[in-house]
Amino acid sequence: MAMMLYQYIGIIIGIIGIIYSFLRFRDSKMSLGMLFVWSIIWVILIGLSLDPLATGYFASLTGIGRGLDVVLILGLIGSFYLIFRIYNTLENMEQEITHLVREIALMRENRDIESKEDEEDNSK
Amino acid sequence: MQKKNQKKQNSPQLFAQSDQEIWVIVPAYNEENILGKVLKELFKKGLKIVIVDDGSTDETYRIAKAIIKENPGRGYLYHHPINRGLGATLKTGIEACLQKKADILVTFDADGQHNPDDILPVCQPIIQGRADVVIGSREFNDMPPVKKISNQLMNLITWIFYGSRVKDSQSGLRAFNRKAAIALDVESREYGISSEIIREIKHKELKMEEVPIETIYTDYALSKGTNLKVGLKILVRMIRYVLK
Repeated sequence: MAMMLYQYIGIIIGIIGIIYSFLRFRDSKMSLGMLFVWSIIWVILIGLSLDPLATGYFASLTGIGRGLDVVLILGLIGSFYLIFRIYNTLENMEQEITHLVREIALMRENRDIESKEDEEDNSK
Repeated sequence: MQKKNQKKQNSPQLFAQSDQEIWVIVPAYNEENILGKVLKELFKKGLKIVIVDDGSTDETYRIAKAIIKENPGRGYLYHHPINRGLGATLKTGIEACLQKKADILVTFDADGQHNPDDILPVCQPIIQGRADVVIGSREFNDMPPVKKISNQLMNLITWIFYGSRVKDSQSGLRAFNRKAAIALDVESREYGISSEIIREIKHKELKMEEVPIETIYTDYALSKGTNLKVGLKILVRMIRYVLK
């Protein structure tokens, strides 16, 4: 059976995704756990591109009508999960920034008030 | 009558007589119009002040600096390089006061809505050892309708989520003793801090009292503080806390 264009695109995206994930892991910008998760996602994408009919098996397994629906639903759930993770990461970063700002403020107590400028003023 | 007597006690000498040192934390964000007046009144009372400028984009920092220079040794200015919200600002103020070995820490809004004469009555229960935390509660009937409803709503929400029923959960005038200030474990960066403080009072089993305070409603003060948008944000945060 001849492969359709979308299958080629799916495979290429999957391969690029895997390479990119490994590069990020090598540069310590991704944890081992996330590398694992992403690799599975990309492998699934490649697998389904090679054999789109396999989605039919998952469809009957989960009771969702068509194979494509399974892919869409899983895609949506996956996206939500990622947004959730991004949201949490952002929240953590906000908290870290706040912590830093507070530390800086405490370190610079009355900074401009007891500065040299004052001493010069007094000596005049 | 009792209130009148309390007001009389507010002379600078009486503040000095209490052997416990009272420090006032003034969180300020873009308050150039009123901050100067508020700080001058507080200094007149002989209080020690910690001002935390939360990354203001106006003249707030410069005004605070000038007034502190006029009152050397009694005022300390801290500056958040970027705006981080009321919660973070209060935390900075509390930490600074603890470093200064403050016995009693008072939070006091910079928008001019509080009367400095209310500070000593609010500290009384702590001075007399009856309470760890005192919330100065505003009279809701004096508030404009929108403020009244939003504050009542915040009380209700605080009650539902944190199980604490207080007269005025969003009040900016509060007093803590050292023990309470150290025990507070709050995370909110913004206005949610007020409700979180109420939660902490319950969690940490701190003794709390509520003292009625006056509120000065100028048009300026009205445009600040908890509005509907902020209220919704606080609600979302509380739901997240409960789900955690």
